[in-house]
Amino acid sequence: MEIIKKIFQDKFAKAAFIILLVLYVIILFADFIAPYSNTYSNRDMSYAPPSKIYTIDENGNYSRPYTYNYIREYEPALMQTVFKQDRSHKYYLRLLPKGEGYKFLGLIPTHRHLFGTAEKGGQLYLLGTDINGRDVFSRLLFGGRISMTVGFLSLLVVFPIGLLYGGISGYFGGIVDTLMMRFAEAIMAIPSFYLLIILAAILPSGMTSVQRFALIVVILALIGWAGFARVVRGMVLSIKKEDFVQAEKTIGASNLRIILKHILPQTTSYVIIAMTLSVPSYILAESGLSFLGLGIQQPDASWGNMLKEAQEFTNILYRPWLLTPGLLIFIAVLSFNLLGDAIRDILDPKSRAGKGIR
Amino acid sequence: MRADVPEKLPDKFVNQELKNIDYPDDEKNVTINGVDYLQSQAPVGKFGGELVISTIGEGPKTFNPCNTKDATSSSMAGLMYDGLLTTNPRSGKVVPLLAKSFEIDENDYTIHLRHGVKWSDGKPITADDVMYTFEEIVFKGFGNPSTMDAMMMDGKLPELVKIDDYTVKFTTPRPFAPFLRQLTYPIVPKHYFKPYSDKGESVFNAFLSPDTPPKTIVSNGAFRLKEYVAAQRVVFERNPNYYKINLKGEKLPYLNKLVYMIVGDTNNEILKFEAKEVDVLSLRGSNVARYKLKEPDSDYTIYNLGPDTGTLFLIINLNNRKDRNGKPYVNPTKHSWFANRDFRAAIDWALDRKNMVQNIASGVAEPLFTAESLNSIYLNNYIKGHPCDPNVSRESLTKAGFVNKDGILYDNDGNRVEFDLYTNAGNLEREALGVMIKQDLEDLGMKVNFKPVEFNSLVNKLTNTHDWDMAIMGLTGSPLEPHDGKNVWTSKGSLHLFNMRPSDYKVDDRLDWEKEIDDIFREGALKLSFEERKPLYDRYQTIIYNQKPIIYLYSPTRITAIRKKFKNIFPTPLSGLIYNLDEIYVE
Repeated sequence: MEIIKKIFQDKFAKAAFIILLVLYVIILFADFIAPYSNTYSNRDMSYAPPSKIYTIDENGNYSRPYTYNYIREYEPALMQTVFKQDRSHKYYLRLLPKGEGYKFLGLIPTHRHLFGTAEKGGQLYLLGTDINGRDVFSRLLFGGRISMTVGFLSLLVVFPIGLLYGGISGYFGGIVDTLMMRFAEAIMAIPSFYLLIILAAILPSGMTSVQRFALIVVILALIGWAGFARVVRGMVLSIKKEDFVQAEKTIGASNLRIILKHILPQTTSYVIIAMTLSVPSYILAESGLSFLGLGIQQPDASWGNMLKEAQEFTNILYRPWLLTPGLLIFIAVLSFNLLGDAIRDILDPKSRAGKGIR
Repeated sequence: MRADVPEKLPDKFVNQELKNIDYPDDEKNVTINGVDYLQSQAPVGKFGGELVISTIGEGPKTFNPCNTKDATSSSMAGLMYDGLLTTNPRSGKVVPLLAKSFEIDENDYTIHLRHGVKWSDGKPITADDVMYTFEEIVFKGFGNPSTMDAMMMDGKLPELVKIDDYTVKFTTPRPFAPFLRQLTYPIVPKHYFKPYSDKGESVFNAFLSPDTPPKTIVSNGAFRLKEYVAAQRVVFERNPNYYKINLKGEKLPYLNKLVYMIVGDTNNEILKFEAKEVDVLSLRGSNVARYKLKEPDSDYTIYNLGPDTGTLFLIINLNNRKDRNGKPYVNPTKHSWFANRDFRAAIDWALDRKNMVQNIASGVAEPLFTAESLNSIYLNNYIKGHPCDPNVSRESLTKAGFVNKDGILYDNDGNRVEFDLYTNAGNLEREALGVMIKQDLEDLGMKVNFKPVEFNSLVNKLTNTHDWDMAIMGLTGSPLEPHDGKNVWTSKGSLHLFNMRPSDYKVDDRLDWEKEIDDIFREGALKLSFEERKPLYDRYQTIIYNQKPIIYLYSPTRITAIRKKFKNIFPTPLSGLIYNLDEIYVE
């Protein structure tokens, strides 16, 4: 709690913390907040621009918010698809309209969504649609579920291995330390990019893309713990010379107990910082891998594979709404980094640059 | 003379947009001072300048015209080496090129060579070079053996005799329609190639690798290699000894230089075109609209060349064989569905081709229902296709014994209908197609696991391990020669993907319609005239359309932009935009 209080004293950290909190709440309630489901698609509305929402009607009076549907037309002479608003019918927006059925938090079946058009047949594409006519806004929320959580999956692998390995290596020292560290260096030397390309070819194709991606993350983590273990080992080397460790030894505590109960807890501040700072790197890795076709595959959504669609030249020019996943990646990564920096300043004041008295 | 193309091409080959183009007459033979030149009838242009074309990928893998296995290498080697005959870009007929003329008498094909034409190093081109090319390269299967395979009939190759220094005669064991078109094979210089081919196939295959010093290469095409910078560009320059002349008797080509810029992907290509670094751009999908819109105030012209020669399709695995360990390639339950024609028909009727064209190809494509591509002269025009109608699908599923309970489809043994659909990952078009097909089929109650996988692993599945259910794939095609599809359609073909048999397979377990297609391809090769062959190839397309082992989706329209400063541009649906590089000039 002390940490959270301190975070709130730092403007940037406070903003980052709130943004991340909001993002996680939104993806948790994605089914409810998104007007459409992950798989909804309207064939006739491929690449429709974002719906315009009006609060002032054609006579200049204030009105309940409403929107118009789009009509798609094809001009054969120019070989061009154009979207026009169908001004003949207004679709008013309302809170909690009935839409596609889903299970709220995976438990309670319901048809209500947070917002949408009051009438059936209305289209509300806050951020336009993609090539298959799927609502980009809804898919952003569902995609966030994958993109924002993969980082934590890797933490589950990296940290237990790294802590224990670094702890044992540093504590015993000598030949054990030398052997364990050379092995860790060998692991670090494995080129991860080429490993991924090989994995993409040999992973069994019977897996769903989420399983496959989880496996890739775990494998990446399995070669990623070595760097972390080296830092932990360095810290343990200095901690083991402290008096309390010597005292522990004289009482006759087992080595494992000393490492787990007394030495590793001393590295907590570093671990928390390293954890916060490593999450964004996995968010970026996910988008990079999806971009290369190694990550989450269609029709599942992730920010990375949604961004892939924006790669095409005309999409950047004419369909800027397809770039929104990139904006979200940027915001999420920046927030994690700001938060990580702030936590480091709080937990580890010695490393703080600038202000100290010398 | 016999022709394997119709006297007059059907109307669709006179593309509306290309109607106003004033095509020059066909080239003529002209003899000046004892040299048999080929005279272009195109308007006389100016000499000089350069044309920059882009090529996507890694660049050429070899300059050896006999050993090309990819499109980039073969188009570049094709510039450097001419064959005896060529395809007329407008009529599709086989016409002389390096040969001065040819005569066909039953199974004898007599070829007369030009007098006085030379290799780029000044040595004369004679019958010895032709004899060498066929006898010591093609017939021995050196390099890419596809021409040898195509010339082989009942295990026998044609005979070749030298009549004099400028005449050779081929004799086929039997009348064989696709033979003549095989004589477009590039002729190579004996004095330059023989030292390498004598050392065996592996030395020959490594010969003329991309790092060969350009000055040493001896060729006979309109252009010769000037420079190759790996992964950047390939530069060709005028071959001063080329045998084609213009109406004034000046030696072609007009261009000083022809540059192939090697680009990574289509986006890169477009940016290079925008930056005016590249002069020709082929447009797809939504880019067409952008460039059409800008065309009136731009420095380029856009040509619509009609449908592409390739095909895009959904293929179903009908394989019922077992692997070495006795495990079936395809789960027997799934196989019982796939083997059912009504099941396949249900899939076909459920596919929304209209929206595939509209959404994925941005309207720049046409729905496809036939095994021959839309610009093939052998296209079966009686196959009109059908609209998307899920009700027809449901009827045929019911007929096939499937039951739909609460939106979930079961077969008559109570198994849920669930299968995998593969395509190659990283291809936006095919991934979007997969998403659509998945939805269409899930509306019928099937469960489709859509799995984009890396391209080479997909090809391995299709051709080696056979452990797939359905896939979205494409194949290249030929607008003029349906026999080229032999490897796909005959039951033992190397790309008979929907029912692959091992190469040493002895059991005759062909389906009735597979047998009929085998017969059609054997017979079609023996018939010589277009009129005799057309009904046969119509029949094979009808069989495929009825049996639906492969369900065709759509065929993109080829739209190409070229800068206005280039003249003598005579695009044709058969040959594309810049087939006549020797006649194109810069204004």
